[in-house]
Amino acid sequence: MNFVTRLIRSEIIFYSLLSLPALWPLYPFFTGNYTVLADPTKYLLHHFGFWACLLLVTVLSFTPLKVLFPKLFFLTALNSQRRAVGVASFVYACIHLGFQFLHESGWPTLVHDLRKPFILIGVLAFLILTLLAATSFNAAVRWLGARTWKSMHRFAYLAAFLVAIHQALGRKIFPKQVIWIFLPLLILEIVRLIYRYKKKTVSAVVLS
Amino acid sequence: MNLKFNKNWQLSESLVTPEKEYRSRTRRDFIKTLGFGAAGALLLPNQSSAATEGFPSKLNPNYSGKELKVTPFNYVTSYNNFYEFGMDKGDPVTNSNQGWKTDPWTVEIRGLARNTGKFDVNALVRKVGGIEQRVYRHRCVEAWSMVIPWDGFQLSKLIALAEPTADAKYITFTSFEDSKNAVGQQDSNFGWPYIEGLRLDEAQNELAFMATGVFGKPLPNQNGAPLRLVTPWKYGFKGAKSIVLIEFTQEAPLNTWQRIRSEEYGFYANVNPKVDHPRWSQGSERVIGGGVFNGRQSTLMFNGYERQVASLYKGMDLKRYY
Repeated sequence: MNFVTRLIRSEIIFYSLLSLPALWPLYPFFTGNYTVLADPTKYLLHHFGFWACLLLVTVLSFTPLKVLFPKLFFLTALNSQRRAVGVASFVYACIHLGFQFLHESGWPTLVHDLRKPFILIGVLAFLILTLLAATSFNAAVRWLGARTWKSMHRFAYLAAFLVAIHQALGRKIFPKQVIWIFLPLLILEIVRLIYRYKKKTVSAVVLS
Repeated sequence: MNLKFNKNWQLSESLVTPEKEYRSRTRRDFIKTLGFGAAGALLLPNQSSAATEGFPSKLNPNYSGKELKVTPFNYVTSYNNFYEFGMDKGDPVTNSNQGWKTDPWTVEIRGLARNTGKFDVNALVRKVGGIEQRVYRHRCVEAWSMVIPWDGFQLSKLIALAEPTADAKYITFTSFEDSKNAVGQQDSNFGWPYIEGLRLDEAQNELAFMATGVFGKPLPNQNGAPLRLVTPWKYGFKGAKSIVLIEFTQEAPLNTWQRIRSEEYGFYANVNPKVDHPRWSQGSERVIGGGVFNGRQSTLMFNGYERQVASLYKGMDLKRYY
C-alpha cells in the first residue's frame, strides 16, 4: 500500500511513466511498419493528439474518483500528481499542434483553416490548455487567489468537451473511441453531481 | 517485357526494404516479420492469386513519364483505404489476407446494354484483348498522393464490348459483399455494398482504367483484387474495389460517400486544389513515402490530367459539382 503510494509520489517514476507515450512511436519506426512509414506525420499527429486527450480525461477523473471513493489510498497520491498529468496533457497537445504544421504545411494553412469547425475547435481547446498550463505554478495560484484560480481551472472541462467534438469531427465516420474515452468521464461527473446533491440535502435535513 | 523503373525511388528511401530484398529473405524471417504488424501480412502464404490473365503486361508509354516517381511497393500495398476490411490504413493488408478468396471471381454486366451477362474476370480480360501497364498519379481526398503502376485495360474497351443503348447515361460499379470475410462489413451502419459511378462519357475517357494488377503482378487483396476502377483525375474513393457488378443506367447512382456525407463528398469528386474539403485544404498533398519533413507538393487541377479531361466539364460550376 505504502509502496504504491510512494511509487506514484516519486517524481522520477511518475514523470517517466508520463513520457512513455512519447517514446512509443519509435517502435513502429524501428520495426518498419510500412503503414506508419508511408505517412509518418499523420501517425505522429494522431498519436500525440490521442495522448493529449487521454491524459486530459485522466486528470479530470481524479477528483470525482476521490469524491466517490474517499478511502482508496492511491487516489490521494494520484490527486497530488494532478498538476503533472495536466501539464503532460498540454505538452502532448503542443507536439500534436507542431505535427499539424508539418502535416498541413504551416501557419498560412492553419490560419486559413480556422474557418473549419474541426480546426477551430481544436485550436480553442489548445488555447484553454495553454492558459491553464501557464497558470499551473504555485506562484500563479497565490497571485490569482485560490478561489479565482479554481474557477479558472474549471475551464479544463470545457477543453475536454471541445476535444471530444474535435475528435468526433476528425473522421468520415463517427469514431467510436470518442465514446470509450469520454463516456466514463461523463458518467463519473454525473455520479459525482448526484452524490454532491444528495449530501447537501442530507446535511440540510440534519441542520433543520 | 517488364517495366524497369528508375532505381532512385528505391534507394532514396533508406527505410524501405526493396522488393527484391524482401523476396529473398528466408522463411524464418517471414515468420519473424509476422509479429511486427501489417508488413508481415504481405508475406502470408495464403495470399490468393486474383486475376492472372495477361501477365506479364507491357508498359504503355503514353501513360507514364520520367517525372512520375513511383511510390515504393510496400507503401502502395500497406497504406490502404478499404473500409470493407477496417477503418484504419493498416487494416486492409491484414484483414483481407485471412482467407478471403478473390479467385475465381465473377463480374456481372447488366442494365441498358446489349451484351449483358456474367463473366469470369480472366475471361473478361481475354475478351477485351489483354492488359497493359500505366503509371498514374493517385490523389486521395484525404490530401495524400502516390504514383502507382497499374496493370489492366481501358474501361472504354469493356463499354464497347457491352454495347450500351442510347438511354444509358451512367455506369455504376458495385463492390462485393461478404460480411463473413470482410470484417468491416460487419458494421452495417455503413450501408454495404460500396457503390460508385461515372457519367458514361467520363467512363469512356481514355484515362478511365480497370485494374487487375499493380507493379506487374495481380492485385493484392488489399488493393481491390481482382478488378477495380482507376480514375486518376478524381479522388481515390471513386475507384471502387473488388467489383462484382457493372451496370448501365439512365440515372446517376447515389455513390456511397455522397450518401453518407454529401457535404464532404459529391458525385464528381474531381481533384481540385481550389475547392477545399470541410476539414482540410486541398491545395497541396502529402507525398506518401516523403518522410516527416519532405513530403508535400502542390495539388494540380484534375490531378495533372487537365489536358485529357477538362473538356468533360466545360461550363460546369466545379464548386457546386464537387
